[in-house]
Amino acid sequence: MQERFGIGVFSFLAALVPFLSGLLGAVAANIPISLFGGLVPPPLLALMPVYFWCLVRPDLMPPSAAFFIGLAEDLLSGGPPGVWALSFLFCYAIVDRQRDTFAGLAGYGAILGFATVMLVASVVAYTTVSLLNSRFLPTETLMLEIGVSVVFYVPALWLMNGMQHKIIGPLRSDF
Amino acid sequence: MANGTWKIARGRNGGQFSLAVFVVLALIVVLVGRAQPALFNRARAYFSDWASPALEAARVPVTTVGNWAGSIADTFTIYQDNIRLKQENARLRQWQNAALVLEQRLKRYQLLLNAVPDPELATVTAHVIGRDSRPFIDTIILNAGKRQAVKSGEAVVDERGMIGRIFLAGDHTSWVILLTDLNSRIPVTIQPGNIQAMLSGDNTSAPTLEVSAQGAQLKEGQQIVTSGDGGLLPPSLPVGMVYWDGQTFRAALLADAATSDEVRVLDLKLPPEQPPAPSPNDLPVAAAGMLPLAPPPPKPASTPSPVATPAQTARAAPTAKPLHKAKQPAAKSKAATASGQDDTSDVQDR
Repeated sequence: MQERFGIGVFSFLAALVPFLSGLLGAVAANIPISLFGGLVPPPLLALMPVYFWCLVRPDLMPPSAAFFIGLAEDLLSGGPPGVWALSFLFCYAIVDRQRDTFAGLAGYGAILGFATVMLVASVVAYTTVSLLNSRFLPTETLMLEIGVSVVFYVPALWLMNGMQHKIIGPLRSDF
Repeated sequence: MANGTWKIARGRNGGQFSLAVFVVLALIVVLVGRAQPALFNRARAYFSDWASPALEAARVPVTTVGNWAGSIADTFTIYQDNIRLKQENARLRQWQNAALVLEQRLKRYQLLLNAVPDPELATVTAHVIGRDSRPFIDTIILNAGKRQAVKSGEAVVDERGMIGRIFLAGDHTSWVILLTDLNSRIPVTIQPGNIQAMLSGDNTSAPTLEVSAQGAQLKEGQQIVTSGDGGLLPPSLPVGMVYWDGQTFRAALLADAATSDEVRVLDLKLPPEQPPAPSPNDLPVAAAGMLPLAPPPPKPASTPSPVATPAQTARAAPTAKPLHKAKQPAAKSKAATASGQDDTSDVQDR
């Protein structure tokens, strides 16, 4: 009985890993310390867990989780509230509809898949902020952020794969 | 890789509905955030207050590593740098002497003209403990907040010029919106010519200049300073220089927020401006030489009530006259009465 309870607790905690990793990504990317001397913006780390687990374990990354991770990104980055939350949900909708296509990507294709989603998120965010400001904004920083995020996705993917195989897979093989 | 090496879970039936609900919720947040930014700003200030010890701790090694890395590169150019700095120092000494002489002369002129002195500026010196340069925002975080009397809207300068203004003050941290930020708009004056303009950030390193006066001609190299319009920012803070980028006039900023480490927050204690009390000569009619006519004396009651006696009528008439004479000095009133002047001439005297 006690052993079963322990498994239940670990299973519950494992279910929180995707959401918590998204929050951690938002916090890590928004620690206001510039390691690159302000030359390039920080990567959009919060989107990586949303994309990855929406693809792999959508039951552990529901739309509500994507919304709150996006909201955390909005709050911590200091930008207009709700913009990244909306962008993440758009990405979620696209991955949800094209899951078979995205899931079939491997190697460089997997990175290309994330780059596509990152581009969608950036376009949605850019459009929303441009509408809020009633003018077109410069895109250089946004382009840099897309590039940096895609580069950072490679180690992040390795990390998330490890979490999926070592933590979530064994404890949450409930389907 | 996320290539289907494990079984992919399918979304539940309610997934689409849930997605739609949260998309609507996100749109609501966008609109509420636009209308009521204070709600979210409070959360941000709380976060920066809470995280400030960690940021302070993290700042030291990052700065040290940055300085160390920079010093390696500097080693190769130390000789040339030394010569350049000596020449620059000599030039700056000459300018310093000129500035001191001009400052003394300015003070003398101010005394002679009885000029209103510049408002006092209380300053708070703060460290930059964080920087955030994102696609839609460009900020730095300072380690001074409300407890150090830092308030929203105050100007932030480094040793070279203005870098931004406080847009959010927590208890012991504050967020600075940089001049390059998309949401930054400050009134500036372009010298020489005293041209008024608006400096608007657009997330590039050089904010744009929007000249408000028609027909004003900007030239490259003109100086940009704060105008002080609105009474929130001090006037004459150095901002940058005008340059033409091929499409529009922009400001090459003097300060570089990316390298600023210690900054000053300026609290403009400008007393509220009181208009001087108007004198009778300030009236437009009097200034034009056209004196106003005296109002006609009020008529005594022409239709005495049937019960009014002659004595009552006699009492009622004098009560109307003192209404006009009440504002006159007592001596003048007596003199006017003695010389038999009427009310009209009395008003003309005034």
